[in-house]
Order: sequence, then C-alpha cells, then structure tokens
Amino acid sequence: MIIQFLLTLIALAGFALVWRRASQGVLSRIESISWSLLWIAGTIIVWQPEVASRLARLVGVGRGVDVITYLVLAFVCILLFQAFLAIDRLERKLTDLVRADALRDLAPKE
Amino acid sequence: MKVIAVIPAYFEGSRIAHVIHEVKPFVDEVVVVDDGSTDITTKTAKEAGAIVFRHAVNRGQGAALRTGTEAALRLGADCIIHLDADGQHDSAAIPLFLKEIEAGSEVVFGSRFLGAEAIGMPKHRRYVLALAKTFNRFALGISSQVTDPQSGYRAMTAQAARTIDFRQDRMAHCSEILRLVTRSSLRWKEIPTTVRYTEDTLAKGQKATDAFVIVWQLILGAFQR
Repeated sequence: MIIQFLLTLIALAGFALVWRRASQGVLSRIESISWSLLWIAGTIIVWQPEVASRLARLVGVGRGVDVITYLVLAFVCILLFQAFLAIDRLERKLTDLVRADALRDLAPKE
Repeated sequence: MKVIAVIPAYFEGSRIAHVIHEVKPFVDEVVVVDDGSTDITTKTAKEAGAIVFRHAVNRGQGAALRTGTEAALRLGADCIIHLDADGQHDSAAIPLFLKEIEAGSEVVFGSRFLGAEAIGMPKHRRYVLALAKTFNRFALGISSQVTDPQSGYRAMTAQAARTIDFRQDRMAHCSEILRLVTRSSLRWKEIPTTVRYTEDTLAKGQKATDAFVIVWQLILGAFQR
C-alpha cells in the first residue's frame, strides 16, 4: 500500500511538472498531453495491476509486469534516440558557426 | 574553366605540401581547409601556395569539404575537385575528371573498382567496401551502377556543387553525396582511379569498424530534415 501511495505521489509530481513546463512554453501541447497520459496510465496500473495483466494477455506477453518492462524499455530507447538526434542537431549548428567563422573574410558570391 | 581543388586536412603538416605541389599543375587554385589541426598544417599549406581556411575546432572531413566547396564557389570556381590530403589519390587523374566534365558530366566520381589497380589496399577493406555497396543499394537507394561506395575523389561543376546539399560532417559524407547525386537529375559518371595505400595512410585512414559509425551517422542524418 505504501509503495502505491509513493508511486502516485511521484506520478502527481511528474504531472504537475509537465503542466508547469507547458505553461513556460518548454513543452508543446502534444508533448504535454502525451506525458500526462503516460503519468495517468502509470497511476491506473499502480492501483489496478490487473489492467496490465489484461494488456499482457491481449498482446500475448504473459505477465503484466513483463509488458510494462517491455514498454518502459521501448520508451527509454526512444528517449535515448531523441537525445542523440538533439546532439546531432547541435553538432550541425556548431559546424555552421565554425564554417561561417572560417569563411568570414570571403564575401558570399551572388 | 576555372578549376579549384579542395583538400580537407587534419594534422597533415608532414604530407600536405607534397600533395599541393602534385595537384597544382592541374588546377587554377588549391583550397585547403585545415580542420582544426594544431600542428603546422596551415603554415605548410600556405607556404606551398594553397589558399587556406581554418576551422577553429575539428568538425570532420565532410564538414571541411563543404567549407572548402563553399569557399571554391565564392572564389569563382567553374569546376571543383575533391581529394584527400594524405596523397592517396593520384593527381595525374585530374585531367581525366576534367575531360568528363567538359564532355557534359556534372559530377564525376573516381572508382577503385573499374580496372585501375588500388595499390596496397588490404583485403579486408575490399570486403567491407563490398558490404558497403550492398548497404548503399538497399538502405540508401544508391544506384547499383556505382562501383565504389566510399570514393572521396570526385569532380563537380559549380552548378552541381550548389545543388548537392550534403550535411554529414564526418565519414558518412561519401555515401550522402553518392545518394544525393545518383537520386537527382544530375548527370554523373565514374572513372577508374588509382589509389595508393601506404602504412602511413592506413594508420590514419578509416578502419573496418568505422562502417558501423557511418551507418549510425546516416540513420541520425535521415531524421534531421
């Protein structure tokens, strides 16, 4: 029971943080709704674990906890890939700056 | 026709002068892009008569090539030749590239697999390149007519250089340029070129495991536009 309250508190904090960031313009509306749905789904599974079991049976995974593990793993992989993409975007911007600096004395040709 | 050779260089202080002297008789200008070296690359290249641009920090061979290409366009090039700074590429082939450009090709790639013998190429490099060719064909949709999947020796008209918007900063630029060219309406051709591998160039050049890095860079690049 304690763990359920604890996880709910974490989900609530996550939910509040999402909408705080949304109001600050850091997260887009779609991102905010996606994150909120994630926290709500997490809270439902904490209090109604049979939902995860039903989902597991539906996709043929076996146990509810297994399907959650797979989903979390997929989610982490997506986040990691997004982080790599963000780094790559920064690298490209850095290259543009370095190039502009290297060519600063050469006027652009019409 | 004003021909400018573009040579990206990184820690090539000991070799760049020789390459510039070999290339100069065949072109109007030599542009060297020092990609953030802290040795004597810039000084040596200037003394050898090249126009040198310098990246403040290392950005990779693809980035340096693009900087050099933009510089060449601003310097009024009609034709741009890309070649390596380590002396692997045979500069005597430059007139053959120019002949094809004058005959109407807009991009000409040098190929190690069209009859000219690659000197000192390790056997495992051939296998990796064969795999790269298959990857290029199926994953990137590069024409199966392309015989050399990683050729860094190429010539292009100024108009083609403006069209080819390559953005891969590091090793994946070869595949990216091939993809952009062969999937566009540009007229392209491959010609046989000799590549000389030495202990020195192999030590600094690409390793077989770099193939995985190139694939990863191409995957990231596919999500960037």
